[in-house]
Amino acid sequence: MPHDTQGFIKLLRVSEMLYALLLGFSCYLLFISRTGEAHTIWEALHPAFIPTLFVATSLLLAIQFTSEKVAYKLLFIIAHSVLVHSFFSVIFPAGDLSGQQIYLGRIRLVYDNAVLHGWPSWSVETVQSQIFRRFGGINFQAAVSVIFARMLSVDIFWVHLALVPILWGIFTPIAAYLTTYTLSQNEKVSVLSSLFLSVFPYVTYFGAISVPNSLGYIFFFYSLYFILRNLNSNDSETKFLMLVFSFFALLSHYLTGVISFSLLFLSLVFKSYRGEKSQAISAKVSLVIAFLFCASLLPLSLIYLRFFRPSTTTAFTLERFNELPIEETIGLALLGDLTYSFHLETILLFVSGPTLAFAYNIYLLYKTKKNPNAKFRTYTPFLFAAFLMMLIDYRILKLFMEGLPFNEERLWVFRDFVAVPFVALAVYGAISSINVFLKTHYPPTISPADLKALSRRNALHVLTLLLALTVLIPMALGGWITYSLRAAYPRIAPLQTTWYELEAVKHIEENTEEKYVVIGDVWTIFVGEMIVGINNPSAYYFGEYNKTGYDLFYNMTQDPSPQWMLQAMNYTDTTTAYFIVTEPRLGTEEYNRIVTEARTRLPVYGVFGEGKLHIFYYKK
Amino acid sequence: MDLSSRFDRIEELIVRDERCAFTLASLVIVCTIFANLSEVQSPVIGAITFFFYFSINGVFLGHAFFEKETAFFRRTFGFLLLIMLLSFVGWLAVVIYNLDVIRLTLVLLMVATLSSLLNRRVKSKNAT
Repeated sequence: MPHDTQGFIKLLRVSEMLYALLLGFSCYLLFISRTGEAHTIWEALHPAFIPTLFVATSLLLAIQFTSEKVAYKLLFIIAHSVLVHSFFSVIFPAGDLSGQQIYLGRIRLVYDNAVLHGWPSWSVETVQSQIFRRFGGINFQAAVSVIFARMLSVDIFWVHLALVPILWGIFTPIAAYLTTYTLSQNEKVSVLSSLFLSVFPYVTYFGAISVPNSLGYIFFFYSLYFILRNLNSNDSETKFLMLVFSFFALLSHYLTGVISFSLLFLSLVFKSYRGEKSQAISAKVSLVIAFLFCASLLPLSLIYLRFFRPSTTTAFTLERFNELPIEETIGLALLGDLTYSFHLETILLFVSGPTLAFAYNIYLLYKTKKNPNAKFRTYTPFLFAAFLMMLIDYRILKLFMEGLPFNEERLWVFRDFVAVPFVALAVYGAISSINVFLKTHYPPTISPADLKALSRRNALHVLTLLLALTVLIPMALGGWITYSLRAAYPRIAPLQTTWYELEAVKHIEENTEEKYVVIGDVWTIFVGEMIVGINNPSAYYFGEYNKTGYDLFYNMTQDPSPQWMLQAMNYTDTTTAYFIVTEPRLGTEEYNRIVTEARTRLPVYGVFGEGKLHIFYYKK
Repeated sequence: MDLSSRFDRIEELIVRDERCAFTLASLVIVCTIFANLSEVQSPVIGAITFFFYFSINGVFLGHAFFEKETAFFRRTFGFLLLIMLLSFVGWLAVVIYNLDVIRLTLVLLMVATLSSLLNRRVKSKNAT
């Protein structure tokens, strides 16, 4: 082995060890940031965490440009990816206060064998509603979480919190690699793309919460890879896998399923169009019609969802144009929800990746048009159409529809998955240009003696370019990736589930023999759901949308007396009732008033969080 | 021998599955999982059995569907397919009745058997 190669390998191993150390240190800093009482992760995150992560990411980027094996590079990226998606699960005692807690409340019932035939626990009216419910993502996620929890013999709580961050962290970088490799046939660009997933804030956010939609995104990304592969192959295995992944995307969430099948159909049309020899006007018109049909599949499927779910209220509307001022409508059409109350810096972080990808995609389209033999020719038009489809669908949902069953912003994740190969291609293209410039203008290896031989201006030029290649570019890209986390994780949020709320609910569950009901605010209900499940007949917490539960809590705060607790016990067929009040949720003044009044009429069951939470009880 | 070639060797052994040794091992692991869930409930035993169950059946499925891929992607796809297969059969169990310990054991047995059969199918196809 030549001496300089040996030296390079030694340097590479040192860099990798340093990266592993920095990543390990970041994990340690994240673990010591764990807190029992915070609104956002930014309140609790150790001040040294982000700088350490930035240095680790920059080093990781520098490693990506070396000739290290792809598998090792991907393993490093996977470790990074799992870390950046674990903030909620590690820092907060019960993960992010969002849909994932609601889902855990339902999945817990499957884990405890408290429901049969999956969620919902009640019977639904029609056959098609029943099919829809059984195919609902919650049952699929319940199966995944329960299997893992039982196999590992740990509580479902821990598996649920870690499920998506780990699966997402492992499998999406690999999907990004494979998709980009199919497009570019370049390993370096492909590994870059798996790291660049983190520059898309929506991708990071949905990878950090355990909801069925997030699982669906993972399967969608793989279906996209097989759809792309199928464009250039007639392999029956590829077709089978393309269908399997699309089916799993549908099983996880209907949004990911509909988008997967729309793209699948679009790809088949593209393939048949390419197969035609003449590519006449009529073929082009058919292609456009097929594109419009695929783009309309999502809006139409949302309208016809009422066939499966009678409570659906989704409809087309022009209300937004009448209600909103013109500048707000334009803002919504251009930026979506980013128009509202965000800083310019946040908007830039959200749009920079997709804009760069879109511009580079157009550039590639232009380039491939001039060169019919270009390697991107097969895939670029299809990915451009997929990107365009997301942009159009988002605008239709945002401006022309109402009563949607989900937030339209979820569509951005699909757009970002389509965009990530182009971001990597654009960045790699820019770096290659500097490299080519250096190689054509200066000798391949430059020693200090060579530099002395150059004029002062040229030597400075060479040094600047070398510095840019080896240090500034990895630092700039590392900074972009790390800084994107600021937009990915919310900076404003309600108080997350606190350690004393969790302790209080666990204490009641562990120390109550008889059937009981808990009257509490919506935050207490979230905690209760996570620990004992929603509407559990022996440990009853009212659902988060239950009006009776809300009314009982309101009446207890106005008049903390046994009559409401008796009413709750009669309503739920239980023999003990608990009433939980928490100071940070109610405000100090209101909390003190309620506690003082309740103490005169009800016995105190427990005090948690150094007096921040009181539990009162009453037995029949 | 470096780490990757050791992995390759282990993978080769699992795929060869001589006298169904790894299939049987996988079935024994399922019985251990059942015993652990019914009696001991130890996360350590759970983690060990989980690791071996995934290693054996993931390799079977990776070989069955992604034989031509490189080792890293073959293994990754194998694990992903195993998760998908487990989830699908588990989902069927959830919607048909429930996923208690006995039904989970049946799900694991079914998936282990299916993975082994798929591996054997590809192996015999290659042999002819």
